[in-house]
Amino acid sequence: MTHRVPSSRRARGEARAARLMLAPALIALATLAAWPGLWVLWLSLQRRIPVFGIERFVGLSHYVFLATDPRFWNALKVTLLFTFASVALELLLGVTVALALQGQRRGRRIAVALLLLPWALPSVVTGRMFEWLYHPSAGLLNFLLGGQAINWLGEPILALPALIVADVWRTMPFVALLCYARVLTIAPDIYEAAHVDGAGAVATIRDITLPLLRRVLLIALLFRTLDALRAFDLMFVLTGGGPANTTETLTVYAYRSLFQTLQLGFGAAIGVVVFVLVMLVAWAYLRAMAREEEATA
Amino acid sequence: MVPEPSACGGMVSGTITRVTPRVFRVPAAQHFVVRWRHAALLVVVAALVVGCGGSPAAPGPITLVFKHAKILGPADPVPGLLREFERRHPGVRVQAESLSWNSDDQHQFFVINLEGRGAAFDVMMLDVVWVAEFARAGWLLDLSPWVPPAELTPHFPSTIEPATWNGGVWAMPWLMNVGILYYRADLLARHGLQPPKTWEELVDQVERIRGVERDPRLDGVLWQGRQYEGLTVNALEAIWANGARVFGGDGAIFPEEERAAGGLALLRALIVSGVSPSWVTAADEELSRRHFGDGRAIFLRNWPYAMDLFQASGSPVRGRVGIAPLPGRVGGAVSAASSGGAHLGVDRRTRHPELAAALVRFLAGAEAQKAMALGGALNPTRMALYHDADVVRAHPDFPAIHDLMLHARPRPVTPAYLMVSTTLQPEFSAALVGVKSPRQAIEHARLRLAYLLEGLQ
Repeated sequence: MTHRVPSSRRARGEARAARLMLAPALIALATLAAWPGLWVLWLSLQRRIPVFGIERFVGLSHYVFLATDPRFWNALKVTLLFTFASVALELLLGVTVALALQGQRRGRRIAVALLLLPWALPSVVTGRMFEWLYHPSAGLLNFLLGGQAINWLGEPILALPALIVADVWRTMPFVALLCYARVLTIAPDIYEAAHVDGAGAVATIRDITLPLLRRVLLIALLFRTLDALRAFDLMFVLTGGGPANTTETLTVYAYRSLFQTLQLGFGAAIGVVVFVLVMLVAWAYLRAMAREEEATA
Repeated sequence: MVPEPSACGGMVSGTITRVTPRVFRVPAAQHFVVRWRHAALLVVVAALVVGCGGSPAAPGPITLVFKHAKILGPADPVPGLLREFERRHPGVRVQAESLSWNSDDQHQFFVINLEGRGAAFDVMMLDVVWVAEFARAGWLLDLSPWVPPAELTPHFPSTIEPATWNGGVWAMPWLMNVGILYYRADLLARHGLQPPKTWEELVDQVERIRGVERDPRLDGVLWQGRQYEGLTVNALEAIWANGARVFGGDGAIFPEEERAAGGLALLRALIVSGVSPSWVTAADEELSRRHFGDGRAIFLRNWPYAMDLFQASGSPVRGRVGIAPLPGRVGGAVSAASSGGAHLGVDRRTRHPELAAALVRFLAGAEAQKAMALGGALNPTRMALYHDADVVRAHPDFPAIHDLMLHARPRPVTPAYLMVSTTLQPEFSAALVGVKSPRQAIEHARLRLAYLLEGLQ
């Protein structure tokens, strides 16, 4: 008892050690994330077009222009529509698939492996594959529809839904596997008790499985939303943002401005908007998750 | 002569050997480009075999680095030409380095390397629409001390305007492309028709042929309407054919506004009337080329590369395809096809300006371009070669293509070309799919271009 260090001193020492151990990670984060982030912010306050030798501070004028730029508002609308529709469908299908896997008796391993396949494919490969599926004259989809010549990627009302379907196919497995992993940890006796109490299949899913999935669903939602808000590759490969910019997301607009036409300051301003959007959504989700923790604690 | 530090890479020059050309998605004006993964592998293998130990101890040779896109065709003539250049310039090595086949990737590569301060190459192959941009940025060496004006005159006029932007000589023309109307010669002959001179005539012919053939799978005319560079080209051709321009001589934007809208209205009408299938709004060169190549369309607008593929053994349309100038408009201007292609420029920070300029002049010269025309599926920029006996034997359609190239027009020659084109694309696309009226699309395009260009002053 006598050799014991007073707890406050020990706590202070531990806190210092913790800070020291965290320091490398914090420094790495600061140099890798914060520094480039600040630099982009600084860039967005300048008019900088190297080809024309233009480099001057313009304050917030890029943001003022964006506020009245129809192309920007259209890209924002496309981004939000894409995010909402694809994330909602992914969640719905992901949970359904997880429940189906739970109910399956044989061949689960094969089913999980198959499920992983779309998730494991590089997105450019997925893009090329869907390009052939949607091909107007030789595509599988039009063939299955009885030789129609539906213009999936060139019709304004069809192009975005076609991209959403491709995105859902690609990322639904992520949601399904997360949910499936959680479902596996639900103790069988809970279901037995429900069964004894006379609960039907629907009531069991509604009152037992889904409530237990809530937290993992929030995490899946967070990841998927942040990803979808930055959607780029599918549009870039399949439609180039067309027709008539109906599939041009904010990141595609940023790419066109920043990399393709070298309007560095203006492109950076769009990038900053995407960043702010992502941070707002992340903050809302994290708050929701914190509340969830409190409620269950 | 400054001895070069003999890098390991210098030892493997010339090992970029022939690869089986594979036509992938072909970006506008870049059809001569293929993937170079196989070539890269060979380079690595060769580097391992040769090793780094063999570098000469005496003053090393001067190394020129030539950055180019992979050359498509039955045999890549570039390595042979570079060896010939080395033979004529003792003590000089030319190291050829391939770039990705994708035009956007190439542009990004050049911009990053030219804007950053490390000169990693001396001579580069440039898409014709980048020449003015790179010249404005100060990245290109002015070749006028080495290239007298007379040296440019044997090239097609539409290649000279971009090369000589703002009074310099920023690059030399090397390879050329032109918009062509392909037609099914067998179908036209069966119905006693000549290739159409105007779009109105083309529409008539499509209706006549389809009315008799009664094949629901036979489309009328295919072109490229996907929202990308190809759309800019196709829409410009329609606008030019209707007697309008993007920029007037005084810098006015769409000075013939009504006629420009009329050009877009023509394209929209082709879709609405079913003369073109609705999916041309999602079509690029390859999508439309394959469909026509399967025998499922009467007309196709595409670049010259498609002919070799139509005439390949096993092609369903082999021996049944003809070429003609793009149609004009009744009451409009004569047909105006867009040109495309590649120029050769020199990095301004090269340590060997004299030799780099010599390499450019050699590659753009008659002898080298002839070799390119014979060995690759490529069109030279020198007019005389289109009537050269050897070349015509290999490419019987060259005399006909000569006339098309002679009347071809470059896309607007401006350092802001990429900005202009990416601003026009969504507006053109909106007119094609009916989201905006052609007049609205032109009006919106004009406002956006005016704002954009004002910001560059």
